Amino acid sequence: MANFVALLIAGLATGALYALVAVGFTLLWQTSQTINFAQGEFVMLPAFFMLAAMHAGLPFWAAILVGLALSVAILGFAFKRLLVDPMLRHGVLPLAIATMALSTFLKESVKTFYSAEASPFPSIAPDAYLHLFGLSVSWQNIVVLGVAIAAVVALQFLLQRTRTGRQMQAAAQNPTVARILGVPVERMILYTFLINGALVALASLLISPIYLAKFSNGDTLGLAAFIAAIVGGFNQIRGAIVGGLLLGIVDNLSAAYISTQYRGAIPLCLLIVIILFRPNGLLGRAEERTV
Amino acid sequence: MTAVLEVSDIKKRFGGIHAVDGVSFEVREGEILGIIGPNGCGKSTLFNCILGQLQPSEGEVKLDGRVTTGMRPCDINKLGVSRTFQLLQIFPKLSVRENLILAAQEHKGTMMSRLFGPRDAGLNGAADQMIAFFKLTHLADELAGGLSYGQQKLLDAAMAFMAGPRLVLLDEPAGGVNLTMLGNLRDRLKAFNEERGATFVVIEHNMDFVMSLCTRVLVLAEGKVLAEGLPAEVRANPAVIEAYLGH
Repeated sequence: MANFVALLIAGLATGALYALVAVGFTLLWQTSQTINFAQGEFVMLPAFFMLAAMHAGLPFWAAILVGLALSVAILGFAFKRLLVDPMLRHGVLPLAIATMALSTFLKESVKTFYSAEASPFPSIAPDAYLHLFGLSVSWQNIVVLGVAIAAVVALQFLLQRTRTGRQMQAAAQNPTVARILGVPVERMILYTFLINGALVALASLLISPIYLAKFSNGDTLGLAAFIAAIVGGFNQIRGAIVGGLLLGIVDNLSAAYISTQYRGAIPLCLLIVIILFRPNGLLGRAEERTV
Repeated sequence: MTAVLEVSDIKKRFGGIHAVDGVSFEVREGEILGIIGPNGCGKSTLFNCILGQLQPSEGEVKLDGRVTTGMRPCDINKLGVSRTFQLLQIFPKLSVRENLILAAQEHKGTMMSRLFGPRDAGLNGAADQMIAFFKLTHLADELAGGLSYGQQKLLDAAMAFMAGPRLVLLDEPAGGVNLTMLGNLRDRLKAFNEERGATFVVIEHNMDFVMSLCTRVLVLAEGKVLAEGLPAEVRANPAVIEAYLGH
């Protein structure tokens, strides 16, 4: 039983990371119909920003801030202005294909210009275990879970409890009327890209100590975020959170109790089952856009 | 009475189609002007030109003597023109109260005040008054998307009045609304006009609704003004009878 609970907590920690990435994925879709197939690489890249900053002599905390700032600037602002805005004029499909190309470009660039080898990445959590009621839970998992929950709560606070959040919702739900009412719709959309830049940087900071910083990390993460968003409901942030957590738990439990060899296949099976019986996802609804 | 809105020789062409073809009229303060005409006669296009959602091919629009032709919809909205749409345009995942607060231009202010200021932007009281006026108090905290169609129409109208506009453009407010709700909507609009001196322009197909609400009626046909006058005059106009009322 103790083992099961420990696995459950580890699954929740993994799921919280998937949820962070999936939430960003969903935000971009809700506000601008951007399906970002480079989202996995967006999580991979900030770790290298931070490593490069540390190689330049900055302490870890300062490197985190640099990585966060670069991620918001490049993966948020520049991504929207240089790729999304020009491509979206031609439709959702050309943009989706462009993000696939961006995914390959980012992956190969890191491989070529930084390293093809996995690089160790420092953790913000102590390398120790917490022993409680017969359970041994790594601080790594506790910190990942705590930071991810804090990030999601902060995001929900922004969206549900501030005027800016209400304007972001209005921009997502009915951009035509929001524009007439004077809501700066373009700025609200830009905010979601900046938020996504911050979320992927946070995910990168949390996941890189576990998987090491490697150019190919985005393959798994991008797929996991995509599946989490679809399983939960592509048009709901809550759906992305539920989908991410569910996927993390299923991932960990299936590896422990079924087979590590089929670990990658189980989430895909889950995706097929959900699409079959609930095509809009667990919490999603047809034709509804909200953030 | 001074003219709130002056529309001068507005034309709007889409390729070879003249959707609006030289329409001129003015709306005086406190007036309810009805615009009628068959589908495709250019009524909604005219609204779009007035609010800046479409730029007219020719002609001029003035609000309180100020030329607004060429201005953006949000800037015209800030000058005091609001509108409803033929197809409902509310924010379905926001509550009734939040829809109204959003419509009251609560987005004004600094970035910091929007992030850290009170969520209601000090507009809760005004929103609740408007909700009560439109008899939606019991639904104030419900999501707008969960309301009946008639209730959503009332909310749509309430949103148009929320910012205290100089002029409200109502595009088919009675469309799809049942008889009970229709009477309620007409009463609320009349009360708003009489108690607060609000000025409206109403596009509508429901003749009874138009004749009982409007103080003056403009009839459009094929993008041009066919007739204009008091409701009784328009009702008796042989050209209008033949072309539109059919009896």
